[in-house]
Amino acid sequence: MEQPETKSFYSDKLKRAIHLLLFHRGKMPGAKEWELKEKVGKNYVQVLEQLNQLLSELDLEIKKVTERSSGEPTAEGIPAPLEEARYYVTLKGSLGLKEAKMIGWRIDNLAALSGGIAYIVAKQGKAPREDVEKVIALKYGRWKATTLVDIFLRTGYLEEDDAGVVSLGWRTKSEVDLPSLMTKMAETKL
Amino acid sequence: MTEKPKSVRNLASGRRELREVIETCDLIERRKYNPFFLDVKLGVETLRQYFPIWEEFKDHCLDAHALNRLSEVVRLQNTQLKFQSSALYAEPEFMSKKFQRMSEKRLAEVFLQSWHPIAELEQLTNETVSTALDYWNLLLPIQERWKRREYVRGKNPEVADSGILTGLGIHGEDFGKRLAGLWSELRRIHDVDQKPVEYWRFVKGPTHQETVQRAYFVSFLVTYGYAKLQVEGDQITLLPQEHPSNKPLEGGVSFPIPIPREV
Repeated sequence: MEQPETKSFYSDKLKRAIHLLLFHRGKMPGAKEWELKEKVGKNYVQVLEQLNQLLSELDLEIKKVTERSSGEPTAEGIPAPLEEARYYVTLKGSLGLKEAKMIGWRIDNLAALSGGIAYIVAKQGKAPREDVEKVIALKYGRWKATTLVDIFLRTGYLEEDDAGVVSLGWRTKSEVDLPSLMTKMAETKL
Repeated sequence: MTEKPKSVRNLASGRRELREVIETCDLIERRKYNPFFLDVKLGVETLRQYFPIWEEFKDHCLDAHALNRLSEVVRLQNTQLKFQSSALYAEPEFMSKKFQRMSEKRLAEVFLQSWHPIAELEQLTNETVSTALDYWNLLLPIQERWKRREYVRGKNPEVADSGILTGLGIHGEDFGKRLAGLWSELRRIHDVDQKPVEYWRFVKGPTHQETVQRAYFVSFLVTYGYAKLQVEGDQITLLPQEHPSNKPLEGGVSFPIPIPREV
């Protein structure tokens, strides 16, 4: 009796892919698309699909996030595309309050982050820093609001440009399900 | 003869109006105002009105720049309309009120339900090793650091009675005289300069001890409404008040100002 043909990748390709995704090498976690192509091979998308199946049993998943590149030419002198994809391993489900505390998050910081992100999204992804601080200060006071915004900028949840305009950072784009956050914020009864 | 001054005036008002249009567009781009705050049609009409009178190259550049800014506002208006029809749409004021009224716990829960943090393994990288090496190379030997600590430490806290405080000039009649003197000095400088007095310029004394003392007295001037402390970025200024309330201001906030030794 013939077995249906299932394409299974060699385990070393899966290992290489998970090493690239999990081990922190540069400033940011995850792996860029070209890195995966170079180290895993042209069929890296299929490798990632298979890896995703394995990870889903552990409540993890691979997420692709497109980000703006610096546009600088590569070592071979080829102009880099203006957008490039980065792959991350993220939690598939969600954490509870106790778990969040266990990994070092304070409840007030999470609450302020939630409000800050929701406000910036409502302002179409950009808002003057002073406005964001004013919103957070409604709950936490002026001095704490400034400190909290600094923390969110440092951890990559927010970004600030030279003109003092704050936008959503790479970490928010990778980790936060914005439609879900906005819906839940709007739905909450007071 | 009478034509020329009129055209000069038109030129000046035209330039001013175009700069105002550009400034408003920039504020809209920085999300200070809603994109629909600006009447683009009126903006284009303004450009059209002044276009025939431009003479110099820089005027044409200004005109082109204003047109470019207006087109950016049109793009933002388009984005705003698309955004309003998306699932993410919410009024910023509504969100701000929700945030204010929702409990801390509920806010954290809402965030956690939508948060899928990245799983990563921290490890030594070339960059972290390089940062650590820089830190290590700049670090003084421990003996040097202890010396510095000894120097900064000073005496242990002691109990001070009113006699000691009066002796130090921070209590009693002398205290009131000193405050009044400092207030007059501040008003005198303000009358001469006709602008708020720079904090560090006013507080700085011949010695570090004197600087600390003046900063201490200034804190009373501010608390009791004799002067207003204004903070803009790194700039701290003092504005003397003509009619002090003579009692601590309601709703005031603490503003700690560290006094570095080099001041």
